[in-house]
Amino acid sequence: MPEPIIKVRNLHKYFGPLHVIRGVDLDVMPGEVVVVIGPSGGGKSTFLRCLNFMEAPSAGTVEVDELEINAGESLRGQRKQIRELRQKAGMVFQAFNLFPHMTTLGNIIEGPVTVKGMSKEQAIVKAEELLSWVGLLEKRDEFPSRLSGGQQQRVAIARALSMEPKIMLFDEPTSALDPELISEVTDVMERLADQGMTMVVVTHELHFARDVADRVILMADGVWAEIAPPGELFTNPKEERTRQFLAHIL
Amino acid sequence: MNSPDSSIAQSHPKEVRLLLILVAITIGLSLLYAVQDFAGGPVRLAVVSEIYDLVLSPDGSLVAAGAQDGTVRLYDVQRDWAVQALTGHSAPVIGVAMNPDGSTLISVGRDGEVRTWDVASGQVQQVIDGEGGPVTGASLAADGSVLATVSQDGTVRLFNVVEGVPLRSIGPNENTKLTVALNSDGTLVAAGDGVNIQIWDTHTGDLVQTLEGYCEDGPAMTLDACDEAEGDWLGHEKEVTALAFSPAGDLLASGSADTTIVFWYPETGEVRWDSGGHWSAVTALAFNSDGSVVLSGGADNKIRSWRLPGGKGTATYEGHLSAVNSVAFGVAQQPDTILSAGDDGTIRLWETANQKVTHLEWSRQGLQSTWGRTLRNWMLISGLLGLVGLWGLWKVQPWGHLFTLALYVLGPVIVLGLSLLETLTYPLSTGVQLQIAWPLLALAVWYAVVVVALMREPVAVFYQAPPGLSLSEKLIASQRAIKTRAGIFTTAVWFLVLVALYSVLRRFNLDVAFMGHFFSFIMQGSGITVVVSAASIVLAVVLALLGALGRLSKNPVANGVSGFYISLIRGTPLLVQIYIWYLGLPRVNIVLQPMTAGILALGVNYGAYMTEIFRAGIQAIGKGQYEAAEALGMSRAQLYRRIVLPQAFRIVIPPIGNQFIAMMKDSSLVSLMTVWELSFRAQKVGRQYFRSLETFIIAAAFYWILTVIFQLLQGKLEEYMARSERR
Repeated sequence: MPEPIIKVRNLHKYFGPLHVIRGVDLDVMPGEVVVVIGPSGGGKSTFLRCLNFMEAPSAGTVEVDELEINAGESLRGQRKQIRELRQKAGMVFQAFNLFPHMTTLGNIIEGPVTVKGMSKEQAIVKAEELLSWVGLLEKRDEFPSRLSGGQQQRVAIARALSMEPKIMLFDEPTSALDPELISEVTDVMERLADQGMTMVVVTHELHFARDVADRVILMADGVWAEIAPPGELFTNPKEERTRQFLAHIL
Repeated sequence: MNSPDSSIAQSHPKEVRLLLILVAITIGLSLLYAVQDFAGGPVRLAVVSEIYDLVLSPDGSLVAAGAQDGTVRLYDVQRDWAVQALTGHSAPVIGVAMNPDGSTLISVGRDGEVRTWDVASGQVQQVIDGEGGPVTGASLAADGSVLATVSQDGTVRLFNVVEGVPLRSIGPNENTKLTVALNSDGTLVAAGDGVNIQIWDTHTGDLVQTLEGYCEDGPAMTLDACDEAEGDWLGHEKEVTALAFSPAGDLLASGSADTTIVFWYPETGEVRWDSGGHWSAVTALAFNSDGSVVLSGGADNKIRSWRLPGGKGTATYEGHLSAVNSVAFGVAQQPDTILSAGDDGTIRLWETANQKVTHLEWSRQGLQSTWGRTLRNWMLISGLLGLVGLWGLWKVQPWGHLFTLALYVLGPVIVLGLSLLETLTYPLSTGVQLQIAWPLLALAVWYAVVVVALMREPVAVFYQAPPGLSLSEKLIASQRAIKTRAGIFTTAVWFLVLVALYSVLRRFNLDVAFMGHFFSFIMQGSGITVVVSAASIVLAVVLALLGALGRLSKNPVANGVSGFYISLIRGTPLLVQIYIWYLGLPRVNIVLQPMTAGILALGVNYGAYMTEIFRAGIQAIGKGQYEAAEALGMSRAQLYRRIVLPQAFRIVIPPIGNQFIAMMKDSSLVSLMTVWELSFRAQKVGRQYFRSLETFIIAAAFYWILTVIFQLLQGKLEEYMARSERR
């Protein structure tokens, strides 16, 4: 029995008096794809962002690839570990957040060169591989402003992959895209899943959840409303909250 | 443009074809004229001949002038300056003289030919063939017994002009090539052009005295040694350019390229007095009849008078447009006058009471010689630009028509407008009507014809899009044509405003020659200006960066320090800060070099202002950029260095550029600390010669040009930085 690659224990997050995440636990196995769905305001994004400490959790522990960080202790004191954890956890944002002053290639080699200290030549070889993998090799010298939203998001995925992460976190990667561009991003994500990447995905794309996810989590009011394989959750939800949510969007 | 040229030419209307021919003729003539003029060809439009020497008859009724064109001009002062030209010399006449009774005129050509003329009839009496030319100077003894010439081979030649025979030649010597003088009884001749002057006995040809500079109260030293010992050097530091004996023969005055005049005792070789006031070489000297006043003319276009004994300056005569070559004391009816002549081709009669010109004669009708050069240059430019314009007209390019038009509208403004203006701004109190040279007027009329033809309806075709284009291409082309047209006219308007500004400044009676002479001296400060600005901006950027990070920091120490810095510096005037850096710090035994103090003052001051700009730039970077960088595992320092600051820089370039332009101008405040930068030099020279307007115009022009260049660079930089935003 392999160990889980992500272990979350009793995670809490307060925004002032607002209790957004109310003590959740999660184990993700290597290669597993977990999709988090749920109503807005339910804490999905916050949960995801707590995984790599984009948001500082108020309490609980997060362990990624045997690197544990306890939010109960001073996070300033654990800065180095947090940075290390972030290198293990690639993140893709809703708004792409590419660096506008760098070319596509520059965006991708930035992490390996600056953070990992990889040589530029090596990083470029790697970046070109990644670019051709996401199908954008011919755009290597374009600036992000000349790419479509779908292309930008694919570059953002390549950028996250360039750090050779153990897990990938997707924060609503397709929400900012025009409907006809969504599939080019989900296709890449699907291929990534096929290659055995451990992924935690917050999304509204139920198709993606149904086709790719190993487990789907419905998160509402800061807790797991239901965790189940997609077939089960979509066709035969156990919880009333799940039924409500599905009725709402289907 | 896919059809061959010939068919396009066919498609031009008849008027346009005619016009093309007109423009082509203009271009051809312009280029032809320019080329032959540059090559030293024969056709020269409307220029005067330089006048090299002038002499007044003993009774003061006749003025004789030797001119560059080889004529000797005789003006009868009593008969309203009626002029008679004596021709015969085949080379420029560099010296003229009259014998004591005024019956005979002696002229010396550059080729060494000496002619004597009967003044009454204007007939040549004797011709002594020249040798040893080119001759550079000539002098006749006051008693008319001996004529001396000096030539470039260093030989002094003596002639008996009454008999018309050469007497003796002395030399060749080193350093006696430029100027020569005889004392009044013709017994001594002095010559020089090195630092020293040599005097010979005319009868024996023996060297009787050498006048050399020496260090006052010191042993025999060289000039450099004297400078090092901080002694007073008496004598000249550069070559002697003018010589004159006093009427009594007890003094020899020498003018030099070092701008001073020295009065020597020829007997002992000691310096009696020395005087300075010209800012360029002294080119002419003359004593009055009792030796109490000396006149000097200079390459600075000025005439100055000096009182003896003492050698104190008493008056300055300004008005010549080029170097003054000869000066003399006034004509018979007007005793309180002086005469002068120079390279500008004028002979001027001045009142000594108020130094105003009361009469002026041109050596030839026309505009100044300097305009001859302007005309030549214009011809070259208009020819070349005209070729481009013609090509545009031919190809029916949108700019061709307008370009040609602008060119031919501007042409007359430059060639005629400016020269007319120059002529008109000359004091009209002289009452002399100046005539425009006819060739120039003809040129203007020709230009006018071309312009009128261009403006005519069938010719004033706006841009016709080439056939075979789609509608959208035609629209784009016409848009571009409109833009080009606007651009050309904007440029033309700029140019005309510039010309207008120049003419307004000329009305202030600007001393253009002075500006030309001190231009390089003032400009030597431009390097310091640029260095101070550049160093200050670097310091300011560093401070501003630290300040902005401090302002954005949550650390109370960093935040407080940078807040205090901004408040203090922005709350006090830059001028006061400069004084504190420069004058205040020495109190605590910190003595800064003026330039260092200036760079610190400017850098610290502008750093405070730029802090706020940088802060705004950094704050303009979105949260997503921070998150994306952090998600890659970047540290705070990496994040700022790689992601935030490069983007912030792009945002702050326009406001920083403005600050830099402001700083370049404020760098002039460094002049308060006696840094020899541009403004300081302008101020220094301006005060010394009472020509502040001229010097500061030079300085202002430099700052302006510098900012214009910088704006261009800034535009390019912005374009480059914005390349990532282009879609």
